[in-house]
Amino acid sequence: MKKRHLLFVVLGILVLAWPLVLHGVFIQHVAALLVLAAISASAWNIVGGYGGQVSIGHAMFFGAGAYGALAAYTDFGWPPVAGVPLGIIAALLIAVLVGLPTFRLQGHYFSMATIAAVELLRILLSNVSVLGASVGLMGPARPRGLADLSFRSPVPYYYLFLAVLALLLVVTAWMERSRLGFYLRAIRGGERGARSLGVPVVRTKLIALMISAGFTALAGGLYALMVGFIDPESGFGLLISVKMVIIAALGGAGTLWGPLVGAAILIPLEESTNALFGGSGTGATYVVYGAIIVLISRFLPGGIAELVQLLSVKARRRAA
Amino acid sequence: MLLEAQGIVKLFGGFRAVDGADLSLNRGEIVGLIGPNGAGKSTFFNCLAGDLRPNAGRIVFDGHDLTLATPEAHARRGLARTWQVPVVFAEMAVRDNVMVGAFLRHPQARAARRKADEVLEFTGLAAQADAPAGSLGTLGRKRLEIARALATEPSLLLLDEALAGLNATETQVAIDLVRGIHARGVTLIIVEHVMSVILSLAQRAVVFNQGHVIAAGAPQAVIEDEAVIEAYLGKRFRRPVP
Amino acid sequence: MILVQLVTDGLLVGAVYALLSSGLTLIWGMMNVVNFAHGDFVMLAMYVAFIAVTTLAIGPALFVPLAALVLFGVGVVVYYALIRNVMRGPMLAQILSTFGLGLVLRYAMFWVFSANFVSLPDTLVGGVLSVDGLRLQYSRLLAGVVALLLTAALHLMLTRTALGSRLLAVAEDRTAAMLVGIRPDPMQALAWGIGAACAGVAGALIALFFYISPLVGDSLVLIAFVTVCLGGFGSVPGALFAGLAIGVIESLSSWFIGAAWKDVVVYGLFLLALWVRPQGLLGKS
Repeated sequence: MKKRHLLFVVLGILVLAWPLVLHGVFIQHVAALLVLAAISASAWNIVGGYGGQVSIGHAMFFGAGAYGALAAYTDFGWPPVAGVPLGIIAALLIAVLVGLPTFRLQGHYFSMATIAAVELLRILLSNVSVLGASVGLMGPARPRGLADLSFRSPVPYYYLFLAVLALLLVVTAWMERSRLGFYLRAIRGGERGARSLGVPVVRTKLIALMISAGFTALAGGLYALMVGFIDPESGFGLLISVKMVIIAALGGAGTLWGPLVGAAILIPLEESTNALFGGSGTGATYVVYGAIIVLISRFLPGGIAELVQLLSVKARRRAA
Repeated sequence: MLLEAQGIVKLFGGFRAVDGADLSLNRGEIVGLIGPNGAGKSTFFNCLAGDLRPNAGRIVFDGHDLTLATPEAHARRGLARTWQVPVVFAEMAVRDNVMVGAFLRHPQARAARRKADEVLEFTGLAAQADAPAGSLGTLGRKRLEIARALATEPSLLLLDEALAGLNATETQVAIDLVRGIHARGVTLIIVEHVMSVILSLAQRAVVFNQGHVIAAGAPQAVIEDEAVIEAYLGKRFRRPVP
Repeated sequence: MILVQLVTDGLLVGAVYALLSSGLTLIWGMMNVVNFAHGDFVMLAMYVAFIAVTTLAIGPALFVPLAALVLFGVGVVVYYALIRNVMRGPMLAQILSTFGLGLVLRYAMFWVFSANFVSLPDTLVGGVLSVDGLRLQYSRLLAGVVALLLTAALHLMLTRTALGSRLLAVAEDRTAAMLVGIRPDPMQALAWGIGAACAGVAGALIALFFYISPLVGDSLVLIAFVTVCLGGFGSVPGALFAGLAIGVIESLSSWFIGAAWKDVVVYGLFLLALWVRPQGLLGKS
């Protein structure tokens, strides 16, 4: 146990201190994106992993958050960060609209509704001129003050994202131990049994979806802050949803650390495949992602977390 | 009167699986629900537990009309059940399974855990508390279902063939467990095939055939009833069921 | 007059939607698995048609059956290699398996053919039939009629033949079917084959009058979802009526509201249907 604590402390110091030593902008940028991906995937994990309600259109919340931030700037001249709450509110509304009808039904319906909803939003936004239509929205070209949170270096974003990730991990860890977490896992284990024990199934799933949607929208808002640009594809595109699913499932859906492990593997992998195949334009990235998803679902539905557990059980047996 | 079900009708398409069944239950009773396969006792049982909505009739439990209430509302009112084929949460630990039930009356995790540990001790599952529920055999799963249901602190527990498929020793252990549950002040309805279980446990037996209650009363008297013997064995046999 | 024209066009396309949705609903009804790659199966079939026409120079009388055959094979392989192993696993694995498969198919084609739209030569089934001022392209007419006939044939096969009753027996109760000597695995593989073949025929037919691109399955799978949800899952007649309705709605809305909005209307209808009548418009409550 002591050794494990030490490991965590060392890891924590590394995560916090490395930007002070390594000054490459590219690696700092990738690191910020990695933390952001971990936030989105952890948020997805609350409803998709713990609750077993598989959203394949979670970009609808990400996009809502990103658009909230930049629409506040474009349409009202607010600092983008002030628009983030608007995006979160929009995401919560969408969550209720999609979740309330489908959570009464079998899990497939929710999954189907999520892709329908995200496509619907993507097409809608491509045609609404106050939200930039297919061109998208830009953030302030030059910061008007500190409130615009516009920095040249990725490092401030990196720390900001880390703080949000830490908050999300605390919320998730609390949820894991509380009634909500038990109820979610019970629902994933079988709704019939859960209901017979008095679990309010629809309400529990909806609460989880709303927490998840809120944090995903926050991630979208943070993304918009850093990148300063959003269009229907980078907000509501398929790749955004796919990445959340794949990162969580790869690391281990329904575990606290799974999405972090998944992000630590996938984001560097993405950067190298992009370098190898020349951007995501060729479709190679998606083929790789699709293949990873199929392989996980076929051979290792618990992701790396399951693998680690299997190996440690084996090691213990050998030791005994 | 703890439970009063009147004129329950359940249709599947045109088939009247339960056709006007009545049952009333006093606090502290153990009632056995018996009948040949396809007699409608399981359907009736599911109507009582809220997993099926009756097409007609009325179910009043502890002063509340639960005729059309959801399964979770039944649990909140204090009516718990187990399943013929256990539906445990296989990926969760045994203790966590029971905690899901315990959270109904104890929203705080610490209290729920205390309740769960107490129930695990009582049902003899304490040693397996940390094992995943999926690692249990059928016997363990049935026991876990009972533990989970008990953790919701029910006043009425419905057991659906909880003792089916057990050997003689296991059956005796299970009978003792049911007696223990009864001693805690829980009223019980048990659906069983095995007549000896009904004879040794139930104070009253209710016999189903073709969707109707055809006999009710003291178990020994009921199994000697002409209509019951006929329902089970057909007209030609007139011998008491062993 | 324009209304009659729009409704007729809609019905013809709707018949094709009905056929491709029948494939989805068959699989769903039989083993409670939703094939999220169904639209990509359709896309695959369109490319089969395209490759067949450009390399073998064959007509629809040959490439439609060819696409059916190829996709039947794809369906069976996917069942044995993937679905059989995940269908009783966690929901996550069930949904992600076909979703991931769809991604692989879609972007593998994207990789090979790039995002460029291609199409079959107009002259393949050219010409327009004019009846009382109603203009019907032969290509759409052929597609609609063939799709309608095959959907009806599928329904008859399921309800009137011994094979159909074996399929439905497995759908009804796997264990009971095993007890009467029906092995569920081949039946379920067959259902996947037939389901994918429906997508195959539909794809080859759509290719007669529609552009072909790797991403075309994206909207088709959603149309199939809408159709199945409106028609009630597992029901071929339901898929037929809902498919025709969706075709007409799409045709009317693209005329009156604008082509860019037709998908918005259809997807919106889907979400609305989930709110109002999730069991399907024709389903029992």
